[in-house]
Amino acid sequence: MKQQTLNLVAAPTSMQPGGYVMKAYQSSIEAITASAELETENAGKRWRIQVRWAAEKPVNDISSETDLFPDACAILVPTTADAPWITMGDKDKAVEGILWRADKDQPWSVRAEGLGTMERSAITEGWKTEAEWTGGYWTVTFSTNNWAALNQFKQLAVAVWQGSARERGGLKSVSPGWVAVS
Amino acid sequence: MRYEVTTPKRQVAMVLDLNKCLGCHTCSVACKKLWNTDSGTDYTYWNNVETHPGRGFPADWQQTGGRTATGDVKQGKVPNLDTEYGRAWQFNHKNVIATDASSKKKDWLRPKGDPSWGPNWDEDEGTGTYPQDNHYFYLPRLCNHCAEPACLDACPRKAIYKRDEDGIVLVNQDRCHGYRFCVEACPYKKVYFDHERQVAAKCIFCMPRIEEEVAPACARQCPGRLRFVGYRDDEDGPIHKLVEKYKVAIPLHPEYGLKPNVFYVPPMSPPKLDDKGRPTGESRIPMSYLEGLFGKEVHRSLEILHAERAKKKQGQSSELMDLLIAYDWNDNFKLDNPKAREVI
Repeated sequence: MKQQTLNLVAAPTSMQPGGYVMKAYQSSIEAITASAELETENAGKRWRIQVRWAAEKPVNDISSETDLFPDACAILVPTTADAPWITMGDKDKAVEGILWRADKDQPWSVRAEGLGTMERSAITEGWKTEAEWTGGYWTVTFSTNNWAALNQFKQLAVAVWQGSARERGGLKSVSPGWVAVS
Repeated sequence: MRYEVTTPKRQVAMVLDLNKCLGCHTCSVACKKLWNTDSGTDYTYWNNVETHPGRGFPADWQQTGGRTATGDVKQGKVPNLDTEYGRAWQFNHKNVIATDASSKKKDWLRPKGDPSWGPNWDEDEGTGTYPQDNHYFYLPRLCNHCAEPACLDACPRKAIYKRDEDGIVLVNQDRCHGYRFCVEACPYKKVYFDHERQVAAKCIFCMPRIEEEVAPACARQCPGRLRFVGYRDDEDGPIHKLVEKYKVAIPLHPEYGLKPNVFYVPPMSPPKLDDKGRPTGESRIPMSYLEGLFGKEVHRSLEILHAERAKKKQGQSSELMDLLIAYDWNDNFKLDNPKAREVI
């Protein structure tokens, strides 16, 4: 098992597709979530990945409201040796992962080849996700029987969204690059 | 990086003559019954009619959009369902039905809860002092299907696009992830959030009707005959005449810089009265207020309207006045589409 503290950074809004987010949020340069605890465990092809971060005002229900945004976190891994982390992959250099949202029963499988290209799909069999908010912290644990890309490259990236700070999409706190997990 | 917006082959557009709007809300009801009765969109009005001066719908929308008065991007706001949109009312029908004449405690039909805002909340309030200068007018609003849509430029997922065949701005809800940057960015606040399906939703200019040469429901159902629909490049159509030829139809908040394709014929108003009840010659709706909504072009538009109305009064002909009067309702709509099916 490997435990590490990740000092998160604000995802750069200057890179966001379209003209609005990059200008409207150009002052968003500080990470809303300063750090996250990452715990990873690998046994053969099996993986257990746990992310823990402070969330003073958790948002886990946005139903019947227009201006609430849910807490969330995602784990991304590269599928090629040179898949860039900061742009969530690139053409033919995909990243893939899992996206958990506090208001959903099940996380999504995600895949992207660049900013704005993320596709969500139902989680495949073999995944187990547990989430708990207690004492001002979210603890989200993902387990899988096999994650081929992670087995191969042994690195991942973490993203955290604080719903109470209206974070969504490209407004998020992220690990400062790929993080080695073995 | 700002998206390039390709100029569509054609652009469908609408003109609304505010001198004829009677505030009946038939347009809003026609639109709503057609497109928005689901629980996730029950609070939305793709078309609404608001009283001006007033806070509008959503409340104070002119202050919460993603554009400054000089057209620069600023951070907008996603309106709150209770305080700015107004949650769709639920009524106590069962209690009222259960009440009979013998009941000691009679209940009356009323919304549940304690609503504090909603569409049309400040209807007919207006401003001013009776009888000197009290005034208000109705402003029907819908998506402007802008040439440079703020909503389109706000979506990091490119889920919003402008149709090439008619310039209608649409949301691809399969791509939308419900981030609501579009809701924030639109300075007209005409993109909504379907909170049940968690996607953005907006006016589609009754696209399936347009394809069959039928005007949008809001326009067809308008008893005041104040709406005109057509293509901007059709020189024989009402849009070209009102916008380009006579230049009496002007966009709402042109300073946002989004080049709307919905235009308004601004409201003429009776004069203010002095202390003795005599007309002063000064417009009852202050020109500064109209300028705040429609920009400086409103002066020229009103001058033309007054001049053409004077001609008509003197028995002279006026193509403009005849068009605005809508003697023949069919002239309000011209949507020739060679690809349209023959509707029998």
